[in-house]
Amino acid sequence: MNEIRDPNEAAATGDNEAAAAGDEGEFDPREAAALLQQTKRRARNRFNPNPPLMSLLRAIVAFGAYGVVWLSVRGQHPYKGPAGWALAILYALVIIVIIASVGYLKRATTGVKGPSRMRPAESIVLAVAWILVYVFMGALEHAGASHAIVYGIYPATAPLIMLGLVGAALAQARADWPIFSGALTVAVIASVAAFFGPAGAWLVAGIALAAALLVQAGASAWRQRA
Amino acid sequence: MPTDAPDALDPLIHVPTRLRIVATLAALPEGDTVSFTRLQDMIGLTPGNLIIHLRKLEDADYIISHKTGNGAGSRTTVALTDQGRAALDTYTQALRGLLGGL
Repeated sequence: MNEIRDPNEAAATGDNEAAAAGDEGEFDPREAAALLQQTKRRARNRFNPNPPLMSLLRAIVAFGAYGVVWLSVRGQHPYKGPAGWALAILYALVIIVIIASVGYLKRATTGVKGPSRMRPAESIVLAVAWILVYVFMGALEHAGASHAIVYGIYPATAPLIMLGLVGAALAQARADWPIFSGALTVAVIASVAAFFGPAGAWLVAGIALAAALLVQAGASAWRQRA
Repeated sequence: MPTDAPDALDPLIHVPTRLRIVATLAALPEGDTVSFTRLQDMIGLTPGNLIIHLRKLEDADYIISHKTGNGAGSRTTVALTDQGRAALDTYTQALRGLLGGL
């Protein structure tokens, strides 16, 4: 059904067929090929909610946030947990990434509707999963678990495991295989990091997460150029 | 250059503005639509000019549009059809073949 036939829209700016037809002169195939490549690349970039720069920012933040916490806990015997200043830096960096991610997502998806858009229920699942990780942390502390678990191994790895698995499940449902493999990799890395002890878990998780995000940034950049 | 080479290129797509429109819509994931306003912003055309080109593409079933609401609150969304994607693929192949022969 032809919808674009509102005469008011065409008349609003005074454009006419002749102005548009002036576009239809000689068009060199070489110029066409260059224009096609350039347009495809630009459009992919502008529609992409996870551009390479965002993955790079996340990698830097992951390395910085986890690194700062590791610096504050290394050498602790007995293990007490991250210092307040380290946690403040970690949360500040996480908030920066969240704000940047939301801003970029909004910019990329403005005016776009369809199956690729994240549905509200999916955002709710991710948010609840994130919150429940810390609720459970409270339960562990309440039950008398050691500081090494409550303020070390668990917070360093559990959020990544939970969000990685939930993210992988959501990505699989929409057949987004790059996100699926990235999220699953994060969950696996975090599980392995848990074996490195309360201080080591922060270091290993931070390095591995940053590396995974850098790989994603590289893959995203390569796909955009293709 | 073969005398019939330019005829191998779809005349509907082989126009700078419509090429940009089709290539931009092709970058959307299948099943997604984009609003007229967003498309206009990305292509950089006036609304009237964009409508003229979209109309030609829609007449050939290369794109599909859908309007919701009335008056000032109306919204038009646009997407490439399967036929439009196939036409762009054919155009791209023809372009490659043509440039390979030059």
